[in-house]
Amino acid sequence: MLIDSLLQGMPLFWQAEVFLLMALGLIFGLLVGVLPGLGPLMGIILLMPFAISLQPIPAMALMLGIFVGGSCGGSISAILLRIPGTPLAAATLFDGYPMAQKGRAAQAIGLAISASALGGMLGGVVLILLAPLLAGVAASFGPPEYAALAVTGLVSIVVVSDGSVVKALMSGLLGLLLATIGTDEFSTGYRFTFGNYNMLNGFHIVAVVVGLFALSEMALQAFGKDLTAKPDIAPVRASFRSVLATLRHWKNLVRSSAIGVFFGSLPGAGGIISAFAAYAVAKAAARPEERYGEGAEGGIVATESANNATVGGTLIPTLALGIPGEATTAIFISVLLVLGIYPGPALFTETPEVVGGIYLVYFSANILLLLLGVLTTPLFIYTLKLRKAHLIPVVLLMCAIGTFTLQASVFDLWVMFGFGVLGTLFRMGNYPLSPIVIGLVLGPFLENNLRRSLLISRDGMGIFLDRPVAAALIAINAVLIAWAVYSFLRKQKTT
Amino acid sequence: MFRKLALALMGAAALMGAPAWAQEFPARTVEVIFPWTPGTSMSVTQVIADSMSDKLGVPMTVISTPGAAGTKALETLQSRPADGYSIFDAYVAPLVLQPVLGNGGWSYSDFAPLHSNLSAPFSIALRKGDDRWANFDEMMAWGREHPGELRYSAGARNTLPHMAIAKVLQEYGVVARNIPYAGDAEARRDLSSGILDFAFVNVGAYQRAPEDFNVLLVLSELDTAKEAFGGAPNITELDINLELSGLAPMGWSWWVVRKDTPPEELAVLREAMSATMKDPEVREAISRLGVVPLEWDYDEYEAIVGPVFEQLKSMGDALAWEEEQMDAL
Repeated sequence: MLIDSLLQGMPLFWQAEVFLLMALGLIFGLLVGVLPGLGPLMGIILLMPFAISLQPIPAMALMLGIFVGGSCGGSISAILLRIPGTPLAAATLFDGYPMAQKGRAAQAIGLAISASALGGMLGGVVLILLAPLLAGVAASFGPPEYAALAVTGLVSIVVVSDGSVVKALMSGLLGLLLATIGTDEFSTGYRFTFGNYNMLNGFHIVAVVVGLFALSEMALQAFGKDLTAKPDIAPVRASFRSVLATLRHWKNLVRSSAIGVFFGSLPGAGGIISAFAAYAVAKAAARPEERYGEGAEGGIVATESANNATVGGTLIPTLALGIPGEATTAIFISVLLVLGIYPGPALFTETPEVVGGIYLVYFSANILLLLLGVLTTPLFIYTLKLRKAHLIPVVLLMCAIGTFTLQASVFDLWVMFGFGVLGTLFRMGNYPLSPIVIGLVLGPFLENNLRRSLLISRDGMGIFLDRPVAAALIAINAVLIAWAVYSFLRKQKTT
Repeated sequence: MFRKLALALMGAAALMGAPAWAQEFPARTVEVIFPWTPGTSMSVTQVIADSMSDKLGVPMTVISTPGAAGTKALETLQSRPADGYSIFDAYVAPLVLQPVLGNGGWSYSDFAPLHSNLSAPFSIALRKGDDRWANFDEMMAWGREHPGELRYSAGARNTLPHMAIAKVLQEYGVVARNIPYAGDAEARRDLSSGILDFAFVNVGAYQRAPEDFNVLLVLSELDTAKEAFGGAPNITELDINLELSGLAPMGWSWWVVRKDTPPEELAVLREAMSATMKDPEVREAISRLGVVPLEWDYDEYEAIVGPVFEQLKSMGDALAWEEEQMDAL
């Protein structure tokens, strides 16, 4: 059945047009990923009208190319400039930027591209082999399980923090507080909107991330003294040897890819959570001499393999159930519908050649990502050679354009600026920024699923114990929290 | 094919701040403010925008501006200059329902219509294999005997599906617990896994996987809606009269601009949209997305939307009734 599907899809896939559009999508995806503010979703929305004028498989080649390229592209600016091009790459900062600071920028980018491609391929294997099975598992996850998973995600704040745990938790709480701004999903009341319609949906996550990371970095660089000095960097290029370097972390790669596929297959979870979760697990499992947070190769492998494997994961409920895992795959479904293809269980029986074609496109897009990524790395490395006096205004301009593009909103620019100031102050006070993003992403996820669970429950909090998966997740959370408290107390005692 | 790609890329460039390149209206990118998160509905808007873009000769970009059941998008239009460069994809929730619920001081007549866009009938469905009740009346009878026991979702709270279902429940005297979700897909997932007893299902979701649902009631008196749901019973077959007709019990949208938009610009936009909505290719693409393309031109706006406003106003207490009954349990 599976082999038949792939064989039937081969003639649809094996066309010059498919490869051309896939390459175009990947390059466009890398571009929107690198530029702060834009991202794969925006790239896909912009080219959707073009995609619906194509045949289904070429259209998916274009869309998946953007998704795969965009999910990887954000890491390049994170590594080179300490600016995550997309929120997906926020966790890649931890080790990517320190590695670049040690003169290993090309290797870091090579690792990011290789890990993205290999993680994506592993996600593809899971997609091909287990889509219907995993779709069934994902469908059994309800609000109690999602609420318990959100708590697991919040515990990761303690793991990913390098310095003071207290400061990390304070940052995380600020993120949770910011997440309450907007319209309450349950009462439809407005919270902390101060009569301003721009705040009815809270702050846009991208404006917050660009402000916190990009503006603060540019501000701190501008405070430096050597604005006109030209960095003396020898020409470097990424090589395909980075694949071998990535494979040296094969356990981490497989584990992080599995985490990515898992979160991707859960509608609503997404790549940001999977990248942070994979990093937290990799760091917890690493030896102390690997020095996570100081340029560890494993850190990049974990986050980048996870967020690209998430792409494969999100296709599972999309294709097998017709349920979009996130906004990006909702657009995929629309494109397929316009082209006369109906995602869902019938897709596998009625049009197996389309399923096979999509599988082949997704797998090939990850291979092509490796090729295009390595070839284009020298262009990106060039940014390191720019004088700060030139680089800072260009980056700020890109940030402003990217953020404005989100909703054509000047308010978003003010949000970006406000969080830029906040990020600068936080960094001057050694408060980590990533927990703010984790809190902001997981806050609504936790609150809404917790309240939904209690509304559904006929037994109050008992719903969390009645459902085996939710109960197991809560037990894991209890162990993680006990371990975190024990580690914290032991650290306090030794210092 | 590559002309479309060029226009799409021009749209991207324009969105990123490229200058205007023509002189007469429209001389630059026209923006369509869309009130929900990206998804199938936004794709309908993009299909129309893409076709209108061909006719107007400038890119048209669709901007997703979700928040407060579409109120944020509507307020965004109000904050823009009345120059024809900002169009609002006005769904019933922000345009009519929010003022009915007392959440906005505007009226549908405060806007100038371009053309009707789409309608989306919906149904009340159980998950596949759920045979606890043979029909809708049986479920309602069970619900009356077990107040507060039924759990259902209409997607987001205070939307038209929520109001229509609350109205039906009110008429039957059934108290059921509404579980809000950010999106319809999440609600359908929890319907399939048995967490919810019933949920609203739109045509698109039903047609993608008809075998997943046991449709008990189509919330429309139109034959086309009944056919779209595989001939399931509709509201005309109930023992009670819900007094819902036309567009009142279903989702729909019109494209509108600010009322003080200059007549010349308004005429250009109306002509382009009217031609677009008559285009068979556009109608076919919209239909495939699971919604019904509408044919009403701007001069029928008052006659179509006015009665909907009156009907929604008359059932405006259904949501408050539901809340009171749940609090009283």
